[in-house]
Amino acid sequence: MTLPDFALARPDTLEEALALLGDDQVPYCGGTELLLAMKVGLQRPETLVDVKRVPELRGVRSSHGELVIGGASTHDDLSRDALVREVLPLLAEVEAHVGNARVRVQGSIGGNLCFAEPKSDVATTLIALDASVTLQSSSGRRTLLVRDFIVGPYYADKEPGELLIDVRIPLVATRRGAYVKFQVTERPTVGVAVVQDTETGACRVVVGAVGEIPVWRDWASVADIDVEELSSAVDPVEDLTGSERYKRHLTAVFVRRALRDLERSS
Amino acid sequence: MLAEAHLQRITARINGVEVTRTVAARLTLVELLREDLGLTGTKVSCELQVCGVCTVLVDGSPVSSCTYLAIDADGRDVQTVEGLADGEQLHPLQTAFVESMALQCGFCTPGFLMMSKALLDRVPDPSPEQIAKHLDGNICRCTGYEPIIRAVGCAARRLRGEADHE
Ligand SMILES: Cc1cc2nc3c(=O)[nH]c(=O)nc-3n(C[C@H](O)[C@H](O)[C@H](O)COP(=O)(O)OP(=O)(O)OC[C@H]3O[C@@H](n4cnc5c(N)ncnc54)[C@H](O)[C@@H]3O)c2cc1C
Repeated sequence: MTLPDFALARPDTLEEALALLGDDQVPYCGGTELLLAMKVGLQRPETLVDVKRVPELRGVRSSHGELVIGGASTHDDLSRDALVREVLPLLAEVEAHVGNARVRVQGSIGGNLCFAEPKSDVATTLIALDASVTLQSSSGRRTLLVRDFIVGPYYADKEPGELLIDVRIPLVATRRGAYVKFQVTERPTVGVAVVQDTETGACRVVVGAVGEIPVWRDWASVADIDVEELSSAVDPVEDLTGSERYKRHLTAVFVRRALRDLERSS
Repeated sequence: MLAEAHLQRITARINGVEVTRTVAARLTLVELLREDLGLTGTKVSCELQVCGVCTVLVDGSPVSSCTYLAIDADGRDVQTVEGLADGEQLHPLQTAFVESMALQCGFCTPGFLMMSKALLDRVPDPSPEQIAKHLDGNICRCTGYEPIIRAVGCAARRLRGEADHE
């Protein structure tokens, strides 16, 4: 499989990168999704605009009660980052189990969200953590919650001229969480994230990978969680990894396991 | 004829040797290695980043060279299976793979060796579980994996200077 011909731009600044983007001039980061889509002929952009050198998309910092993660950070970077491990060990753990070791080295958090692949661990976890994304184009900046950004399968709310600059996660000292997944191929069949504020008891459960987009619910306490309601609310996609009925069953099993892990977490 | 923006001049260190080439944007690292440089130890199979036979190390980290643009290796250090042995002296991982019968047809072996090297460079004393997890993106249809996990553990012990046991 040879890649079709294309031009590659490697801008060093955000302004340059934004000026280069267009309908047929698309962002390129790790290429773990984009290059595969191009190999099989699903996409044929004229120019790839490499975002890896843009400083605004790099690094992790905490600022004004939020963890700010540059969009080009790789899964491997995040799984080992000292700050992420300290303030959000749940995210570090999820990142350490994405795909395989090579996908983690090449693939970025921004590319993962922008591609909106349904079988993602990252979007599921970020929705549970109430994360948002910062998008920027030559004409301005906007922020939206990850749960609103992921609109459909392979469809994120992003204009061709926009770059995902960073992912922002509110830091809540009283938060605990768990993530469990079931996987027989290189991508998850089901992934469940549960996050609770231990002060108020309120919790959010997010089920990803079974359907086209993650499904989430908020409850006032763990005791209120209705596992049956959740497993009937998901809309499973039937494929080689299972039938609709099977995936509903798995959903219920994995929500229960996530709740068990939550109780064990500190 | 390719337009200017489709061609770029890159310099990378490949197994310690500085290589400068003008490459097309669409050229993958494995195409550069195999077709231009004749380094055919690195194999190609699934081309979907799933099987692991094309694994090489870029600045010490494992990547799928079938889906990694050669241009992204610009200014970086690339290690392939050809760079493992020191002259006639096999790398401890290679010796351990042979002794543990961790290969049969051998097609996946370069990928497993490079992937294992990436692990041992970071984690000198991995548990069998850590080894299995790290290698779960590499596929072998001959060995059943157990001998590979044993070989990596054995190489790790030797690299740490410990005597063999078992
Ligand atoms: C074998 C395999 C297994 C995988 N397993 C998992 C898994 O278990 N769990 C999981 O969650 N994911 C999994 N993935 C998906 C992986 O996480 C994503 O492929 C990766 O993170 C995408 O990032 P990238 O940098 O490679 O994106 P690219 O391929 O470079 O880009 C993807 C898309 O996003 C756009 N884009 C990239 N960066 C930006 C940006 N900053 N701003 C705007 N647009 C941008 C591109 O234009 C393109 O449309 C797997 C992938 C593979 C190949």
